[in-house]
Order: sequence, then C-alpha cells, then structure tokens
Amino acid sequence: MDPHFHDISIALYRQESETGPTLLVHTYSSIEGAQQRIETLSATMATIGAMQQVEGAACQLRFSCGARHQLASRRLFLEACKLPPEGTSQPRPLSIFDKKSSANVTVSSLGNGVYQLSTDGDSEAASRRCSAITGGLAKLGEMESVEDGENRIAFSCGHAHDELTGLLLVRALNVRSTLREQEMAAARGQLAAPSAQKQ
Amino acid sequence: MTSRQRVMAALRREAVDRTPVCNPTSVATVELMDLVRAPFPDANRNPEMMARLAATSYTELGFDSVMPVFSIIQESSALGCKMQWEQKDNWPTVRMREPIWVEPDDIKIPPDFLTHPDMKCVLDAIKILRKEYGNEVAIIGKTMGPWTLGYHCFGVEPFLLMSLDDPGKTKLCLDRMKEATVQFGLAQIEAGADALTLPDHATGDLVSGEYYKRYLLDLHIELAERLPAALILHICGKTLDRMDYIAQTGMAAFHYDSKNLPSEAMSIVGNRISLVGNINNPETLFSKGPETVREEVYRNLESGVHLVGPECAIPLQTSIENLKEISRSVKDWHKDHSTSN
Repeated sequence: MDPHFHDISIALYRQESETGPTLLVHTYSSIEGAQQRIETLSATMATIGAMQQVEGAACQLRFSCGARHQLASRRLFLEACKLPPEGTSQPRPLSIFDKKSSANVTVSSLGNGVYQLSTDGDSEAASRRCSAITGGLAKLGEMESVEDGENRIAFSCGHAHDELTGLLLVRALNVRSTLREQEMAAARGQLAAPSAQKQ
Repeated sequence: MTSRQRVMAALRREAVDRTPVCNPTSVATVELMDLVRAPFPDANRNPEMMARLAATSYTELGFDSVMPVFSIIQESSALGCKMQWEQKDNWPTVRMREPIWVEPDDIKIPPDFLTHPDMKCVLDAIKILRKEYGNEVAIIGKTMGPWTLGYHCFGVEPFLLMSLDDPGKTKLCLDRMKEATVQFGLAQIEAGADALTLPDHATGDLVSGEYYKRYLLDLHIELAERLPAALILHICGKTLDRMDYIAQTGMAAFHYDSKNLPSEAMSIVGNRISLVGNINNPETLFSKGPETVREEVYRNLESGVHLVGPECAIPLQTSIENLKEISRSVKDWHKDHSTSN
C-alpha cells in the first residue's frame, strides 16, 4: 500500500517479453492521479536502480543485462515506494558509514558484475563487520561469493549494477532487520484462525 | 449450466458440466478493493461496498460463487465483543483478551442481534447481490459456529480450559451459543443466500478428532437439520482425523485445508459429503506464481474434489493474477479431459 498516495495498492508484476523478463509497476486503482503516481514510481526505480523503462511503456522496466534479479528488484520497488514523490531521487553512493564499526565501508566494482567490499577501519571488529556486510549484500542481491578474494561477490548475470548495489548496501548493514521487516509485511493481511491469533 | 446451478449441483454431488470454482470464505484483496473502490474496513460495514467487493469474485476472477462475509467477526461484534477494525490491508479482529462472558448464564443474544448494523450489513449485501445477479451466480453467506463464538466471547484459553475442566458446562455454553448461529443463518437464507459457510474453528492444532466427536458432531447434525440451505463446514488445519465424523453431519460440504492431501481426504469422505478446497494460501496463492497454482488445482481435480477454491480466506495482498489462474486451470483441465475422452 502506498502511504504517499491514498493507500492505493501497487504491485510489481513479473512479465515475459520477446526481449526477456520485464517488471510492470501496476495499480488497479482508478482514482485521479493514480496513473501518474505509478509513472513517477517507475521513473524513481529507473533512477535509483538503473533499470530501463521499456519504450512506449513507462511503467514497464527491465535490467540492461536481461536478468530478472528478483530479490533485488523487489527491494528496489519497496525502497522506491518509501520515497516521497515530491523529492528528487538520486542513486546511492557505493560507500557508507557503518556505525557498528565506526568505519566507512566501500564497494568497488571490479567489472563483469564482481564487487569488492573494503573498510577503512583497521580493527578486527571492522574487518568482521565488513565480512558480515558482504554476506548481507550477497543475500539481498542474490549474489555469489567469488572464490579468489575475501569480501568479493558477484551478480550471476556478469554485469555491473552499481546503482542497485548502492541501494542494497544501505540495507546490508542490518540485513536481519530488513528480512524481519519483509516477513512482517508478508504476514500482514493473512487471516489466522481465532486459536492462532495473537490476542 | 449457470454458475449457480453448477455450485448447487456440486454441493448435492450431482453431475456438473465442469467442476465449479468456489469461494466459501473470502477472496477479497487490496487490489480488488482498489478496483471497485470498496476498501476494508468499510467493506465489512457498508452493504453497498460489501456487495461490490464480493461481486468481483464472479465478475473479475471467474469464480462460480460470491461471498460477501469476508471476515469472521460480524456476529461477535453484534454480541458485544470489543473489536479492532484495522485498516485496508488487515483483517478486523475480536479482542479476545477482553472476553465478554465467563459463565453459561452470561450468554445472552441481544434482542437487536439481527438488526445490529454489522449483521444488517451482511443481510443487505446479500439482498443487493441477489437483486443484481439473480440466478447467475451462487451467493454464499456465512454464520459462525458456536465453537468459534466460544473463542471470541469467552477467550481462546478460558474456553479451551473450560472444555477440559467441565464438559457439561461447555456443552451448555455451546448449546446456548448455537442459537446465534441459527438466527443469523436463517436470516441470510431469507435474504437470498443459496448456501452458508459455517466456520467452526475446532482446528487441527488445538482440538482432536475425538474432541470434535464429543462436542461438535451432534451439534453440527442439529445445525444441518435446522438450517434449510446447503451448509459448508469450514475448519482449518489437519482434519483427516475428523473427516469421517464430518461426513456424518448431513452438511453439504466440507471446506478443507491444504494441510490435508486431496486424495486422502477424498478416500475418507467418499460420496457422503462434498469437498471444497484446498489451494494453499500463504505459500502458493500469496508467494508463488500461476504455474504452482495450476499444479494444485490439478491435484484437486485429479482426486475428484467436488468444488475447487482457496483453502481459507486468502491473504489480502494476494495478486489477482494468481486468483484468476484458479478458474483458468479448472477450465483448461476439463477441456483437456473432454478432448482425451
């Protein structure tokens, strides 16, 4: 549900086209302004996640690599929905300050979809945090670990996705809380028998 | 056959042109609410909105039935329970931590029970649907069984403890509460309902098959005798251990959960009662795609289940596409089978 526009429901639908998988941002609401809201949301996703808008269909998006990136695109959709429509959206940087280790964590693109995480903290704790954040990022982006390097992960499509990585990095700092939030959102709206309800 | 004829024939286990797609609980979703501008919680309390949202089951999803009573709380609200009406994306619930009854003598069905706004809303919605759709589609109402009312009005834990400590008192309570079930059921039949779902949450996780026999079998037989419409009993969870008893109630159908295999359920009930179900909600309809929905529909059809539909009220965030796939799959399966035969 969209807290920024009359609580209308907005969904991301997987679609197959001749050129590969696409994602359709869609609402069944016909209230005035709903279509415009959907178009704004699609444009936001295109900006902060570097997705391409399909020509002639502003609400249909695809990744340039042609892959689906299901979990990452879902996260991108949720993050885009959270942004107020009146603001200007920008892609997130590939570096972030991690409060837990009091150090900056940076992600560097090594090409072919491979990313290296590093920290400017020199303590063992900072190093452990960097590994944990790498794991979180891999989980959120369905990325694979690369054997020939510590804290090195890759998108299976073999293409760079800097904007998407920057977006996921914010959530990778606290991946458990992100997944918990996801689970709670999924549980909402499920009717439980009275005996199974939290009273 | 019209949708209504198809559903009613299947509830009597008579021949049908294809298996009906039936929704004895709820297929309301936030997308459907947007589509017809009938959001929760208003759609549970305003008859026009309730009817409009219920109709989407037939007009948008291709089901053969409509069911305007989305929630399980209308009677409890009229009985005086404290309610939490929630927002568009969540179900209204009864605050069971604040029970209204403790002893059998506390049980009183208010004189304005049927005219309470939350009851009248259901009755008016059924009348609207009957007027709008005539005999095209089966209109299913819902009246909660006394076991569920016990949870709502006494609280889950106190009611279960009473059933352990004092079976006589529990039976007396059930006997008194069943009058609410009968009154609301009769009123819905009079308003135009073709069939009634009777949820009575003696669920597999808390109540055994023997418990069902001890407390509810005779009572359900009595309800089937007193309510002159096809009754569809709904109990969530694993219920194979009580399906033989359920088949003896005289009810038209049992709406069963995906925790029970269609083939096993069918082998128990045989042709004594129709089965409705049992497409999984949280994993299949909510989280998976149309391909998985189709597989589950086929599993039910291949087992000979009489009416196909979701196992329970579907999660409000379920996609319309997955729900449409149920009726598409049923039609395709019958097409394939009539060709191969």
